[in-house]
Amino acid sequence: MKTSNVLILISVLLFINVSTEWPTHTVCKEDNLEIYYKSCDPQQDFAFSIDRCSDVATHTFNIRAALVLRHSIKELYVKTDLIINGKTVLTYSETLCEPGHSKLIFCGKQKGEHLYYEGPVTLGIQEIPQGDYTVSAKLTNEDGVTVACADFTVKNYLEYY
Amino acid sequence: MVLLVLVPPQLANCLRNPCLEVIPDRAFTCMGLNISGVPAEVPNTTRNLDLSFSNLKSLGSNYFSSVPELHHLDLTRCQLHTIEDNSFKDLHKLSTLILTANSLQYLGPAAFDGLTLLKKLVLVETNITSLADLPIGHLHSLQELNLGHNNIASLKLPEYFTNLTSLRYLSFFSNKITHISKGDLDVLREGNRLNLTLVLSLNDIKYIEPGSFEKIHLGELVLRSSFENFNVMHSSLQGLTGLQVNRLIVGEFNNNQRLVNFQSGLLSGLCQVRMQEFVLICFRDFEDDTDTLFNCIGNVSSIRLVDLQLEEVSEVPMFSQVKQLECKKCKFKEVPAVKLSLFKELRVLRITKSKYLNSFREKFHTLSNLEVVDLSENRLSFTGCCSLQFPKCPNLKHLNLSFNSDISVTGDFATVKNLLYLDFQHTKLFGPGSYPVFLSLQKLIYLDISYTRTHVKAQCAFCGLNSLQVLKMAGNSFETNKLVDSFKNLSHLHTLDISNCKLVQVDQSTFGALTELKELNISNNKLLLFDPGVYKPLRALTALDFSNNQLSVLLDSALEILPDSLVLLDISQNLFDCSCIHVNFLKWVKEQQELLQHEELMICHMPTYVKNVSLLNFDLSSCQLNASMVASSVIVVLAAVVFLFLVYKYYFQLYYSLVLLSGCKHSAERGNTYDAFVIHSSKDQEWVMKELVEPLEGGTPPFHLCLYYRDFIPGVPIITNIIQEGFLSSRNVIAVISTDFLESKWCSFEFDIAQSWQLVEGKAGIIMIVLEEVNKVLLRQRLGLSRYLRRNTYLEWKNKEISRHIFWRQLTGVLLEGKRWNHEEVKLM
Repeated sequence: MKTSNVLILISVLLFINVSTEWPTHTVCKEDNLEIYYKSCDPQQDFAFSIDRCSDVATHTFNIRAALVLRHSIKELYVKTDLIINGKTVLTYSETLCEPGHSKLIFCGKQKGEHLYYEGPVTLGIQEIPQGDYTVSAKLTNEDGVTVACADFTVKNYLEYY
Repeated sequence: MVLLVLVPPQLANCLRNPCLEVIPDRAFTCMGLNISGVPAEVPNTTRNLDLSFSNLKSLGSNYFSSVPELHHLDLTRCQLHTIEDNSFKDLHKLSTLILTANSLQYLGPAAFDGLTLLKKLVLVETNITSLADLPIGHLHSLQELNLGHNNIASLKLPEYFTNLTSLRYLSFFSNKITHISKGDLDVLREGNRLNLTLVLSLNDIKYIEPGSFEKIHLGELVLRSSFENFNVMHSSLQGLTGLQVNRLIVGEFNNNQRLVNFQSGLLSGLCQVRMQEFVLICFRDFEDDTDTLFNCIGNVSSIRLVDLQLEEVSEVPMFSQVKQLECKKCKFKEVPAVKLSLFKELRVLRITKSKYLNSFREKFHTLSNLEVVDLSENRLSFTGCCSLQFPKCPNLKHLNLSFNSDISVTGDFATVKNLLYLDFQHTKLFGPGSYPVFLSLQKLIYLDISYTRTHVKAQCAFCGLNSLQVLKMAGNSFETNKLVDSFKNLSHLHTLDISNCKLVQVDQSTFGALTELKELNISNNKLLLFDPGVYKPLRALTALDFSNNQLSVLLDSALEILPDSLVLLDISQNLFDCSCIHVNFLKWVKEQQELLQHEELMICHMPTYVKNVSLLNFDLSSCQLNASMVASSVIVVLAAVVFLFLVYKYYFQLYYSLVLLSGCKHSAERGNTYDAFVIHSSKDQEWVMKELVEPLEGGTPPFHLCLYYRDFIPGVPIITNIIQEGFLSSRNVIAVISTDFLESKWCSFEFDIAQSWQLVEGKAGIIMIVLEEVNKVLLRQRLGLSRYLRRNTYLEWKNKEISRHIFWRQLTGVLLEGKRWNHEEVKLM
């Protein structure tokens, strides 16, 4: 009787553990700029950083990102939504890897491999907008399966020149 | 500065979640379940087993004995550090083994024993440092060996590679190979290895010793981002001397470009390499010194230049043997026709996806072998297509100018009249539609002018295209949105796409000549009708797309002309009318589920009570129910009409019976005020006054008669008076029958009431007085009255003294019966 109670207790604790969300990570925290992100892929968290936070005011900036692939990425597509006050105001999507033309190093990686990207990111728009907003990014592969997913919370009050 | 937080996958699912059965008894996925062995629930018939992201830690001998039928085993990220001897001993049928991302510390010398049929071995990210220790020499069936992302420092292929005779793919992607020396690849020289693909990308190769690849024959050699700088690359490529390869891929990755500039002589080492295809990919900064690009690859039959920032074509060597040339994502601003014309043997030319390419002023000269030109997905804008650009290319068969900006087509195809395929889709065109521009393309089989903003005005827009089999012209428009006889000469047409052309009407004669047409797409227009006469000539039709129009129904006549050869019919997304009058069509839809496409999008639009109901789910029985409802309501309406008609006709009688009934209620309340109520015609009033009222009321005993002109109360309906004052207040009724009585409606009504009264109350007797001058013939016509007279006694008035006396006696006698005398009257007697 006692052991079954213990088992129930443990299972409840584990269940709570499963249902918790991934923690929010800080990318930048400066006077005029704060960027946080949280993984929205229920399977895993991932690592992300920006080399120099002030560079986000420019068209291109360097990032580093790492995750363990749970699906192969023979093809890889990214879709980003700019969300202000809960409403999607801008959507941008791009093909990162296409079959027969792997322009990026990590294209063609298989399930289980470690993906590490270090390099420039060019925004689809001229510069990131000012104000408080959320950027939701989702990477999907050839089967339409989510490879990675993240919500970035941005508080940007940088001065643009 | 950079904080990298790597959180391992959450491994909270400690509770035993069952594996996912992908194919019953055959394929199981136990990904991420944190299990520590082959789950007991996986049956021994399993062929595919995915144990990735588990916690196996180490594999001992006969570890997989419970699943001997395995063909595919995925052990990705199982935290394996040890694989002991004979771990896979029982897997004789295994063809794929994936060991990605396990940091192996111990791999037994007989670890892979028993895998006699293994074809694919993936050892990516497995901490391998040397090929020599790898116990794979006995895997004779091995075709693919992936050693990417390891720490292998030497390409020295051990002796056991001579056993791997089936090897087709060998990848050292992202390893630590720095030097390739003579003798490293010796084992590849032996035997017959024509198709091996060797991947050396993302190694930091500093030096390739000349002779390393001497007399080696490979299928493909990939060297992307393998060199640190120009000098290293230049000298290393010299080391490829003597190599024979089907395809050589050299270049970088977009996000890993280490070489700054393409410099003169970079590829000079390739002069000593025999290859059929050369691919140069992802190179930046081609601004200067590119004139040597083709120097050593001029004899290659196929060259692909992909994602290069090449702005001009380099100098073309004399007697070049290049047959196929492709420039994808290059930086040309002008189609370099003059320089490309120096590739005299050129057969296929592709310049695609170059977003700066907008001008086409130069001409291709004397390329007698040129057959295929693909200039799609650029930003080209030019006029005078197409003889002008290809003056001496008589063998041009395939021309693709799709997805460009705008092109003006003059109709001059004289030099390219052997064209078979012509594709202009999504390029704005000037010319076609306005006048017959295709007159000289007698051999053309395929023409695509979809979404070219062509407006077909001329009747002869497609004249000359006598061999045309495929015409795609979706997304254009026709004069007055009406299809007339534009296609009359296209008698060999197999496929016609006129979707999205804003069509509202199709003329009867339009498809008259298209007797060979197999596929017709007329979807996304605004057609209201499927006119049988229009589509009847299409006897060879196999596929018809009529979706997204404004069709409400296919009439029986339309269903009849659908040819037997029809296999696919799409009439979805139309505005279907599901009224029960179209029950034949609705039934037909249910019967033709195999023929009809996108049935789920066939939705009722009318009438409103079935709006948005799928035609498939439409309840046909509701139509039958409706029929009975319609029938019953018709019956009800008819009955109501008949009833109203009867009411109208017998209104008098009905009212009379109503009065009769209401009269009954009051009869008890009233006394007998009068002795008799006299019914007579107003024309007999004189007689009544003189012969009836005077003697009866003035005589002894005095009787009190009720006379309508005297006793009826004014301001009350006549009927009420007749009933209230006449019948209810009188003991007897005296009817004065005369010719006028018979003619009066009121009199006969009163008489009818009197008769009924007699029947209902059973008291008041009717005293009939028949005046002598009554026409007997007329009396006989009044059936009720004459019958009454036949069955009852009556008084007859004769103007003789004696008969008058008898009359008076009889009448007084009747009236006296039941009379109650009041005192005054008694006294008077």
